[in-house]
Amino acid sequence: MAGFADLNVPQGADKKSLQSLLEATAHLGYSVVALNHVIDFKEKKQEIIKPVSPSELFPSLPIVQGTSKRIKVLTRLTLVVSDPSHCNLLRSTSANIRLYDIIAVFPKTEKLFHIACTTLDVDLVCINVTEKLPFYFRRPPVNMAIDRGIYFELLYTPAIKDSTMRRYTISNAISLMQICKGKNIVISSAAERPLELRGPYDVANLGLLFGLSEGEAKAAVSTNCRATMLHGETRKSACGVVYTVKKPRKVEEEETAVPACKKAKTQA
Amino acid sequence: MAAAAFERRVLQSAAEHHYLRVRLELPDGGARPNAAQFKQLVVTALRELHGEVGAALPVDVLTYEEKTLSAILRVISSGLVKLWSALTLLGFYQNRRCAFRVLQTSPFLLALSGNSRELVLD
Repeated sequence: MAGFADLNVPQGADKKSLQSLLEATAHLGYSVVALNHVIDFKEKKQEIIKPVSPSELFPSLPIVQGTSKRIKVLTRLTLVVSDPSHCNLLRSTSANIRLYDIIAVFPKTEKLFHIACTTLDVDLVCINVTEKLPFYFRRPPVNMAIDRGIYFELLYTPAIKDSTMRRYTISNAISLMQICKGKNIVISSAAERPLELRGPYDVANLGLLFGLSEGEAKAAVSTNCRATMLHGETRKSACGVVYTVKKPRKVEEEETAVPACKKAKTQA
Repeated sequence: MAAAAFERRVLQSAAEHHYLRVRLELPDGGARPNAAQFKQLVVTALRELHGEVGAALPVDVLTYEEKTLSAILRVISSGLVKLWSALTLLGFYQNRRCAFRVLQTSPFLLALSGNSRELVLD
């Protein structure tokens, strides 16, 4: 079973608050988090900095509740694009972009949404949840994105903060569900404070409110997040990623597996 | 012998009620709700998200401990998603941030007597 993941923890400047956020996520039972670095092209020239290595930030990561493992921290880059020229950056082989584990885009217009879904080499497409959608989702780009293994991200923290945003979150989510039919959805937090975080099962239940089925809602916080991570990993390699895990074997079993007569022969 | 002394009952999947063990998290030094205010908070959360229909949902606070701010709630099974989502999206208590942590949910009250997640692993 894939563990729970929260793919959007904003990477603020304050190290102490980030530490308390990480501790809260581990305590709630998330086994993977991604530190999000946002670049908005509207604001002046912004440099894509190298991702801060999590092991550099924190010498000892908190242990996930219910397991004996430490929490896994990834890096994520979110590009807010409002003009087609911003996408050139993603096409060029910029060295710093390659260093991030997950790359997301936040398209502001329908045209950019279409480009992000069909041609850009990204893992996540963010859906606006804080204001009324500026465009309608159309089936061709969404289907294309599902085929390419790109996931759509919904945030839930704005819904906790404000009742107007809550309305937009739910209505935008439902209109997306009508087109994608519950497939390829990732729900994450973008919480700045520990009290804005919610447990993985709470978030899955919230998915039911967005029009997902129970299975799809749970996948939105677990397996879909894992698929996003793996999709991000394929960018660094040629075409795919294969994991092999060594299965521990018992020594006694091996001995008894050999028939008695054979054993005698090898000894002779 | 009277065969009618035995009666066969089949529980058709759905239990009548669901039980939730919840804990309210508040920032340090804020006002702590008493039992009545706690119930009021739950109803407010339901009204905020689901309107008057949500506020009319039969929810009972079975136990409430003011010291730890933890409670056991009982709700009609059909209203579980409504109650749970309302608790999830509640963000403020008396204009201060708060968070409901749903620790356990079960159709059987007895299941809330223990929690395997609080066991210490070796």
